[in-house]
Amino acid sequence: MTSCMAGQPLTVVVQRIQIQKLRHGANLILGFSIGGGIDQDPGQNPFSDDKTDKGIYVTRISPRGPAEEAGLRMGDKIMQVNGWDMTMVTHDQARKRLTKKNEDVVRLLVTRKSLEEAVKHSMGSYPRQ
Amino acid sequence: MEDYDVRSAASILASVKEQEARFEQLTRALEEERRNVNLQLERSNIPPNPPTSQPLAWQQVVMQEQSPSNATSLAMMQEPQEVVEETVTIEEDPGTPTSHVSVVTSDDGTTRRTETKDISSNVKVTKMVKTVTTRTVRQVPLGPDGLPLPEGSSPLGSYTDSIDRRYMKNGGDRFITPQATSTLTRSYNNSYNDSYGETPESQYVRHYGLHDGYADLTDNYGSLSRGVNFRPPRYPYLPNSYRPENSYTLPIRKDDYGHVAQPQVPMGSSTVDLNRSQPERFQAEPYGLEDDRRSLGPEEEEPYELEPDYSTANRRTLQGANRGRTHREPLRDMPRVRGYPDEAIEAELIDERHPYIHGMYSAPLALPERGSMASLDRMGGRRSPSIDSIRKDPRWRDPDLPEVIAMLGHPIDPVKSNAAAYLQHLCYENDKIKKDVRQLKGIPVLVGLLDHPKSEVHRKACGALRNISYGKDNDNKVAIKICDGIPGLVRLLRKTNDMEVRELITGTLWNLSSYEPLKMVIINHGLQTLTNEVIIPHSGWEHEPNEDSKPRDAEWTTVFKNTSGCLRNVSSDGAEARRRLRECEGLVDALLHALQSAVGKKDMDNKSVENCVCIMRNLSYHVHKEVPGAERFQDPSALQAPGSAGPQRKKKDDAGCFGGKKAKEEWFNQGRKNGENDKNYDTLDLPKRSEPSKGFELLYQPEVVRLYLSLLTESQNYNTLEAAAGALQNLSAGQWTWSNYIRATVRKEKGLPILVELLRSDSDKVVRAVSIALRNLSIDRRNKDLIGSYAMRDLVSNLPSGQQRPAKNLEEDTVVAILNTIHEIVTDSSENARSLAQAQAIEKLVAINRTSQSARETKAASHVLQTVWSYKELRNALTKDGWNKSHFQPTMTTTPKATKNGKPGYDDTTLPLMEKNQGTRKCGSGDMIPMDELGPDGYSTIDQRDKDCKYKAVDGSVDQTEREPLKNDTNRKHYIRTNRPAVSLVDACDVKPQPVDSWV
Repeated sequence: MTSCMAGQPLTVVVQRIQIQKLRHGANLILGFSIGGGIDQDPGQNPFSDDKTDKGIYVTRISPRGPAEEAGLRMGDKIMQVNGWDMTMVTHDQARKRLTKKNEDVVRLLVTRKSLEEAVKHSMGSYPRQ
Repeated sequence: MEDYDVRSAASILASVKEQEARFEQLTRALEEERRNVNLQLERSNIPPNPPTSQPLAWQQVVMQEQSPSNATSLAMMQEPQEVVEETVTIEEDPGTPTSHVSVVTSDDGTTRRTETKDISSNVKVTKMVKTVTTRTVRQVPLGPDGLPLPEGSSPLGSYTDSIDRRYMKNGGDRFITPQATSTLTRSYNNSYNDSYGETPESQYVRHYGLHDGYADLTDNYGSLSRGVNFRPPRYPYLPNSYRPENSYTLPIRKDDYGHVAQPQVPMGSSTVDLNRSQPERFQAEPYGLEDDRRSLGPEEEEPYELEPDYSTANRRTLQGANRGRTHREPLRDMPRVRGYPDEAIEAELIDERHPYIHGMYSAPLALPERGSMASLDRMGGRRSPSIDSIRKDPRWRDPDLPEVIAMLGHPIDPVKSNAAAYLQHLCYENDKIKKDVRQLKGIPVLVGLLDHPKSEVHRKACGALRNISYGKDNDNKVAIKICDGIPGLVRLLRKTNDMEVRELITGTLWNLSSYEPLKMVIINHGLQTLTNEVIIPHSGWEHEPNEDSKPRDAEWTTVFKNTSGCLRNVSSDGAEARRRLRECEGLVDALLHALQSAVGKKDMDNKSVENCVCIMRNLSYHVHKEVPGAERFQDPSALQAPGSAGPQRKKKDDAGCFGGKKAKEEWFNQGRKNGENDKNYDTLDLPKRSEPSKGFELLYQPEVVRLYLSLLTESQNYNTLEAAAGALQNLSAGQWTWSNYIRATVRKEKGLPILVELLRSDSDKVVRAVSIALRNLSIDRRNKDLIGSYAMRDLVSNLPSGQQRPAKNLEEDTVVAILNTIHEIVTDSSENARSLAQAQAIEKLVAINRTSQSARETKAASHVLQTVWSYKELRNALTKDGWNKSHFQPTMTTTPKATKNGKPGYDDTTLPLMEKNQGTRKCGSGDMIPMDELGPDGYSTIDQRDKDCKYKAVDGSVDQTEREPLKNDTNRKHYIRTNRPAVSLVDACDVKPQPVDSWV
């Protein structure tokens, strides 16, 4: 679904999610964990359809944490963080981008399978960008 | 005898059918694809039209399963010869139980015939035949099924297209004459005709009757295979009655073999070439031991994709094709009528397909695999339905295992090599078959073949051994060892220059090296050879460097990776193994050179680097006790304060290596409490050497510090980071001169901030290794002060706050290691204890002390608290913060273990390492004494690693693996568990870094 051919236009259904970081002592907590990145083995990503997809995926969500409150789900693929592309970054770059100390809010652009399917099933309508 | 030959004929037919079907599928897919493209083009103007029509549904299937063949089929189309293209697509589609045939003749002379029929209630077969008739004007006879017969089908041989046969009852009764054979291979039939048309009968006999007969075709093959249009000759279907004497005799049958062998044509070099392509198919991966893992691919659900990596995609594709289609397995238990002689033919077919495969397909289609896969399927339980339809012929069967093993001893070399290759294939990812091979005594035969002069044979044997040696069944490894497989492999390594064989050998050795009892055997037989043949040449190190040329870089070849992995494993086999490796000429030099080269090229994340660092780490373990002459460097002052004089300094004084006594004294005195004299701390005099150090001396030269620090700064590979930190940990332990230098050099090279930074790593084991390294480094007084000032917060932030774990959720071992490091840092330093309190650590420590579920954590926290409370000057401040003495006293009731050792005194079992050592060494100059009691918080990285992995295996390596059952990973874990002792250093199987998972 998210796999694409080079040069082909790619349509992805995305959702915006805004997470207010939780302040915990000196730490800012988003309450989820990420996996993936271009430096990681994409074959081990249990969430991706395309096992060459080196994107950043949400691997865990802490219950009742900020991310869960905001509607993030396990298996979501993070496309952008505060406008920064996350589809071609190393794991650590993604982590750093998410954990900026001076940012209390992160806005994510995520895509998830259920979204795409929902759009597909809605007859004839094209996904809104 | 007669009977037997009949069966052979049948088997030949089956092969032909199989190949035909494949080809047809391919071409049909192409045709369909083209049609679809047209359809789509038309449709594109009518956008949201829901796909209702039949062709579209079909289209999807075709695209998914067959599209990779397009390119090649297209190429075929351009051939100005007569081309018949056919495709069969079977798809699961419960709808439209209709059957219709449509024939479209377009004006370009193309006939299209589309046939859709219902085979069973839910299987629809759509068949499409396209005949392109070019200028050839010739009568095109129609076969009984109404299909035009291909050019060249003479009345003599009423050959019909095998595709049709598949749908015809009694199709097998037809036969063809030799002449017909020329037309069978339609796509290249002209050239084929030219060369072999004149004496079809004799040719026929030679080609298909003799085992080695195809050798004389090889020229032809060669040239054909270069073009895209190559197609292996089909084995004509032969009627029971039509059969030249002994034409079909297969080589295995000894009695027949005699007269078959006589007209044998010597194997030409092109035959070898043909064979050469084979390993790519059987070989799962370009590198050794991952063979077995790759086959996990098919199990995973993944969409079909165009994948250029043909060799790894095959299985997946086949599997994928399987999924999409109807599974019918009517043949699973079919009567085995076919004698095993036929197997040779099958094996040959496998060979012959290769040029075809490699020449034609750029994408993975299941087809090329089918010959061997089909038989594997039978044994492995997977099969492709399209094979089934072929295999409906009850006269066809695969060899069983004893037969394959028997073929290993066949007098004809290609049979041997094919049997070995087939074994490799069967053993792939199948523990049952490996075990069976072992029990059927196949392993000694394979080992025997290692010495076979023909490269084909020893290569395939080696491939089979590699797969057999992989996995958790150590009995297989032992079986290889018992029949002297290890010296056999090493001998072959010395003999062969074939890179592929070398990869196989070293891969096998890597597999074998993961089993503890074999490590020393490998060292005894292979260490120097592996070093000389692989490590040194590939590392770029030169014994006598050429002054003019710049140093060569390391090449991260598969052979190097395998070999370094093997040595990494054997290097964990205790003191004797370490001694052997250290003293192995050129090994340490080459490894260091390779690592320097990696740092220079900023290429530090690969597996070879990881292996090299791990070897270095292991060899650095206990250097101060184990290297020859170590006693000369021992620092008796360690028993007292580190500032006092020791013989090693005298020695150096004698050698005139030290600049001035004053500076030196200052350096050594810097550890004195309150006696710091900063100005000379960062100028460290190192002993100068009259000649460059070499061999194991390189392990502990202060120069290596920079190397490890570079790795720690740059590498993204957690295993490499852990190993580099572990190496520093090992080198900075112990009380000999060199560890003093190392500790000071780390500071001088600004390594402390690098290490402290890594305390924030997401990897548990990196945090642990770094933490213990910091502990050893803080034996140096100056380091202790710096670490106390700058690392305290990061150390503390890794601690859990009571029940609630921090985001990182570190393992118990790591928490204990951190606590012990903190303990070391606050010992003898009230300033550091104050920093600790200021870092809000007391709250966490008290919480751990009171509520931790782990006795070890409780103990370690308790010791830190006691030490902190021992500084009277801090008590005021602590009381102000609301703490009182009771918080700093050991809790008696937290855990049974704590209760057992209830007294707050300093008994060995409850003490953290440093204090225990204090008994013998007054000042906390930590040694890397592995302490079972305290486990990983001891100083040994080696033992720790074991525990590490054991822990990981048991625990599922944090919940990450539990929640994300990663296929490779779980497999590996399982394996590691069974090989526990070898594990961590080992990692024979732990090839990929674990997937990272970061809490944010």
